[in-house]
Amino acid sequence: MIINPETRKRWQRFKSLRRGYFSLLLMGAMIFASLFAELWINNRALLVVHQGHIYLPTYGDFLPGTTFGENYDWETNYRALAEKIKIEKNGDFILMPLIPYNPFENDFIEGEYPPYAPSAHNKHYLGTDTSGRDILARLVYGFRIAILFSLFLLAISYTAGISIGALMGYFGGKFDLITQRIIEILSNIPGLYVIMIIASIVTPSFWSLALLLAAFSWMGLTWYMRTETYREVNREYVTAAHSLGASHLRIITHHILPNTIAILITFFPFSVAAGITALTSLDYLGFGLPAPTPSWGELLQQGTDNLEYQWITASAVTALSLVLILVNFIGEAVREAFDPKTHTFYE
Amino acid sequence: MSAYFLRRLLLIIPTFIGITVLVFTLTRLVPGGPIERMLAEAQLGGQKASAHQQFGSQALSEDQLQQLKEYYGFDKPILQSYFEWLSKVVQLDLGESTRYGEPVWDTITQRLPISIYYGVITMVLTYLICIPLGILKAIKNRTPIDNLTSLIVFIGHAVPGYVIGIACIAFFAAHLEWFPLGGFVSDGFEDLSLTEKALDLLNHSVLPLLAYMAGSFAVMTFMMKNALLENMAADYVRTASAKGMTFRQAIYHHALRNSLIPIATHFGQNISIILTGSFLIEKIFNIDGIGLLGFEALMERDYPVVMGILVISSLLFLLGNILSDLCVAWVDPRIRFGEQR
Repeated sequence: MIINPETRKRWQRFKSLRRGYFSLLLMGAMIFASLFAELWINNRALLVVHQGHIYLPTYGDFLPGTTFGENYDWETNYRALAEKIKIEKNGDFILMPLIPYNPFENDFIEGEYPPYAPSAHNKHYLGTDTSGRDILARLVYGFRIAILFSLFLLAISYTAGISIGALMGYFGGKFDLITQRIIEILSNIPGLYVIMIIASIVTPSFWSLALLLAAFSWMGLTWYMRTETYREVNREYVTAAHSLGASHLRIITHHILPNTIAILITFFPFSVAAGITALTSLDYLGFGLPAPTPSWGELLQQGTDNLEYQWITASAVTALSLVLILVNFIGEAVREAFDPKTHTFYE
Repeated sequence: MSAYFLRRLLLIIPTFIGITVLVFTLTRLVPGGPIERMLAEAQLGGQKASAHQQFGSQALSEDQLQQLKEYYGFDKPILQSYFEWLSKVVQLDLGESTRYGEPVWDTITQRLPISIYYGVITMVLTYLICIPLGILKAIKNRTPIDNLTSLIVFIGHAVPGYVIGIACIAFFAAHLEWFPLGGFVSDGFEDLSLTEKALDLLNHSVLPLLAYMAGSFAVMTFMMKNALLENMAADYVRTASAKGMTFRQAIYHHALRNSLIPIATHFGQNISIILTGSFLIEKIFNIDGIGLLGFEALMERDYPVVMGILVISSLLFLLGNILSDLCVAWVDPRIRFGEQR
C-alpha cells in the first residue's frame, strides 16, 4: 500500500478516535498472544532441566516419559513431573506454562466427574467443559482458529469480489450482464441452510468450510467494485495509460485498483466480525468444523445443553461478545476516519 | 419500471431451479440417506418409535429394499427424479416425511403458526420501538440520552441475536428462574383458563422475542437516526426553517418523511423471517417452529422435509427481496429501478 498524505491523515484521524484505536491495540495484542498460545497454555513444559540436560518441549516432537527417568514411553506427563520435582528437590528444574492444560486434553480429578467449576487451585481458571477440557485453553485456541478462519475467508471472498467486480466494471457488456444475473441468483439463496445441508453430507474441514462460506459471501464487494471501476474507466488517466500501450491487466492493477481499493478497508472489520459469527453459528448448530476442534460455538452449545453449569455459557458468551464489540469499535472508528460526518442543522 | 419487476419475478424461476437442483443432487449423493437410516432403525428393533416399525427386527429382503427405493425415487437417475419431484412441487405436493410418514406440507403447516406468531410480534415491536427511538436519538444527538441508548443499541448490533438469547436463557431462566427454560407453551396448556393461557404464552415469549429483536433492532434504529440526521442537515429543511417554520414542524413535516425511506427497504426481509424464523433462536429456546423443524430434519436426514423447507424459504426470500424494492419504489418516487445509468 502506498503511503500518501491522505492515508496518513486518515491514520491520524483514526488514532485520534480513542475507543477504536485502543480496541485495535487490544485486538492486536490478543491475536498476537493467541498465535503463541502454546507458550502459555499447554500441557508441555516450557523448560525442563533434567540431570544437567536442558529440554524445550513446547514445539517439536513429543518426548517420551523415559527421557526424564519415568517408567513409560508415551508422552511425558509434565504436570506430574513438576509435582515430582517439587517434592524430590534433586536439582532438576521445570517451568510450566501459566495454564498447564492443552485444549484437547481431558483432565480427570479423582472422585469427581467433569465439568469442574472454575478453581485457581486446579489451575482451571474458567473451569472445564463437560468432558473435562480446560475452558480457557479452548477459548484461546478457539479464538485463534476463529480469527485465522475469518481472515482466510476474507482473503478468498475479497479476492474474488474485487477481481470479478473490477472486471465487470472494466469490460462491461455481456460479461457484466451475465455475471450480474449469476450474482443475483447466488445472493438469493438462503445461504445458511444450504451450507448446513452440505455440511450434514460431507463433514467440512477448515479450508473447505471457508471456501463454502466464501462461495456465498463474495458478492457484497462486487457491486461496489463494479460501480467504482465503471466510474474510473472513463477518466483521462485511464485513456492516457491505454494510449501509452498499457495492457488491460496493467491498467486494472496499476491504475484503477489503487484508486478504488482504499475504501474497502472500511468494510474489513465488519467482515471479520461476520466471519467469526458465521463460524460460531455453524459450530453451535453442529455443522461447523469437526470435533474436537476448539470452538466457541461448540462451547455455547454445551452451555445451552447444560444450563446448570453456568461457567461454560458465561465464559463463551463473554468472550464472543467482547471480541465482536472490539471489532465493531474498530470498524466504527475506521469508517469515521474515512468519512468524518459533521452534521449541522439550523435551529 | 413494471418491466423491471416483471423481470425480477421471472428471475425467480431460474434462481429457484438453480437452488433446488444443487440441493437435490446433494441429498442424492449422501451416504446414510433415508433408506439406510430406516434399515438401521429396523435393526435396532424399534428403539425409536416410527411409522416403519412393521418391518420389525428381521433384515429386509432385496425385494422390500427395492420397493422402498422405488417409493422414495432413489432407484431413478437424479435428473429424472428431480423432474418428477419438481412437477409434484408445482402442484404443491412436497412428498412425504421419511421420519413422520405424513405429508411434508402438513408437517410444515402445523409448525407455521408458531413461527408466524414470533415473526409478526417481532416485526411490530421492532417498528414500534425503533422509529421513535431513532427520532429521539437524532433530535437529541450527542446528548447523554443518545450516548446511553447508543451503547445498548451498539451491543445489540455487535453481538448476534442468538448469543443474546443464550445469555438471556442462562441468566434469566436458569439462574434467576424468572422465565421458563424454553418451549412454546407449558405442558398442561390445554387445561388452563384463558387468562392463564395468555400469561403462560407471554411468559414463554419474553426471552425469545428479546433475542429475535436484538438483531434487527440496532440496524433499524441506526438507520432511522442517521437518515433523519442527514435530512435535518439538508438544504430543504434549512429553507423550511428560513420560511418561518418551527424546528418541530420542519422535522416532522419535512425531514421525517424522507427519513422513512431507508426503513422501507427493510420491510420485505421481514417476510422470510416471519415465516421461517431462525434456526438458532428456535433451537436455543426449543420452539417448535419451522427453523427447528428444518434443523431436526437435517439431523435425521429427513430429506423431503429439508427440501420442502428449502423450497418455501427460498421462495419467500425471493419474494421478500422483490417486495422490498416495491416498497422503496412506492415510498420514494425518485427511485427508478431498471433504468440504465
